[in-house]
Amino acid sequence: MNKANGSEASCVNWSELLARVDNDRELLCDLLSIFKREFPEHLQALRNAVACNDSALAARVSHTLKGMLANMAVTKAADYASRLERLARAGEIASLGGAFDAFEKEVQGLLPEMESYTAEARP
Amino acid sequence: MKILIADDDALSRRLLEKTLERAAYAVTTVADGRRAVEVLRKPDAPRLALLDWMMPELDGPGVCREIRKHREQGYVYMILLTSRESKEDIVAGLESGADDYLVKPFDADELKARLRTGERILHLEDRLVEAREQMRFKATHDPLTFLWNRGVIMDLMGRELTRSQREHGCAAVILGDLDHFKNVNDTHGHLVGDQVLREVARRLLQSVRSYDFVGRYGGEEFLTLLNNCPPASALVRAEEIRKAICTRPVQTDAGPLGITMSLGVLLSCDWGHRPADELLREVDAALYAAKTAGRNCVMQAKPDEPRERVPTPQPAGERFR
Repeated sequence: MNKANGSEASCVNWSELLARVDNDRELLCDLLSIFKREFPEHLQALRNAVACNDSALAARVSHTLKGMLANMAVTKAADYASRLERLARAGEIASLGGAFDAFEKEVQGLLPEMESYTAEARP
Repeated sequence: MKILIADDDALSRRLLEKTLERAAYAVTTVADGRRAVEVLRKPDAPRLALLDWMMPELDGPGVCREIRKHREQGYVYMILLTSRESKEDIVAGLESGADDYLVKPFDADELKARLRTGERILHLEDRLVEAREQMRFKATHDPLTFLWNRGVIMDLMGRELTRSQREHGCAAVILGDLDHFKNVNDTHGHLVGDQVLREVARRLLQSVRSYDFVGRYGGEEFLTLLNNCPPASALVRAEEIRKAICTRPVQTDAGPLGITMSLGVLLSCDWGHRPADELLREVDAALYAAKTAGRNCVMQAKPDEPRERVPTPQPAGERFR
């Protein structure tokens, strides 16, 4: 079994996500497609904001990522994004780099997991 | 029911849109606060709105403040969507004019339940507005004829005379009284009398322009104000009103009845700056003169001149008695 089936440590809580979309697979595929399109852009924006010590931008982007991840039932990564947002709002620039590394590590397997789910869901 | 979703996150927007479409809402979506305000200010806009807290251009609380500034529009029930959970944030959101808030990621059942609360509030508002409009109508209209009542037509007359003086224009004041109306009531009863009054009111309204005013001044007396009315046409119009009443019999439960009206007419430009009640006395005197002159005619009130009868050719068969 792979991550998408929930055996290994999945990034996505698939049962929670399916319940959220009321088991509507078509809607789920829509959401996955939007996520896969938008997530890398936001991740890159956050990476740049952290590299430039732009705490205001980092706070804004991590807030957006937190919302996206929570909607997709990616709970743990959403918590990491929430921590990043808090640090950025508090202006704790020194801690941002480490928090971003932890976040990036957490979401490393996310898109492949989603790809795999989409491939399996395809008729 | 229509609903607006304002959220810059495409994912959240799609999820909300689909959830609410399934719940039979007609959904409009926008991606920023400025656009949300534009949509909510349009005529026939959605009256339910789900607003993300953080959005580009204008945030959710900003949208609430903008919408609440314009009190003349119908109430919009607004729910803020937030992943901010501090009490200060929630208080600030509600203080901005939001009715409720929901923490993201939302639970579909909770969202729908909160929207139903919003619908109940909007329904209540609709009923209050309807009741207020009914009361407003009753307070300003005559219950039998649905014309302006005496108080309102007098106010309108004062206002129109002032405006005419200010703009150096001319307003015509026409006071009409049904001839021998007491006979109708005595012979056929008050219900038939009421039918006559209602039909006369209808004919009066048909005889004037949409921006003129007609009111029931007393029992069978009607006051008509013609705005921006050139002196020559005022007399023609008064004569048209007289004809509108007398040329066709009024159909009643007692059969067709011939009804006529005597009218006094006054042109504000003839009288300079005189108070409304003085002009009303003058037009009343002209009406009295029309009665004395044989009824079913128009008399014009002119300062320092004897009352002038407006020629009223009366072909045979014009009167119905």
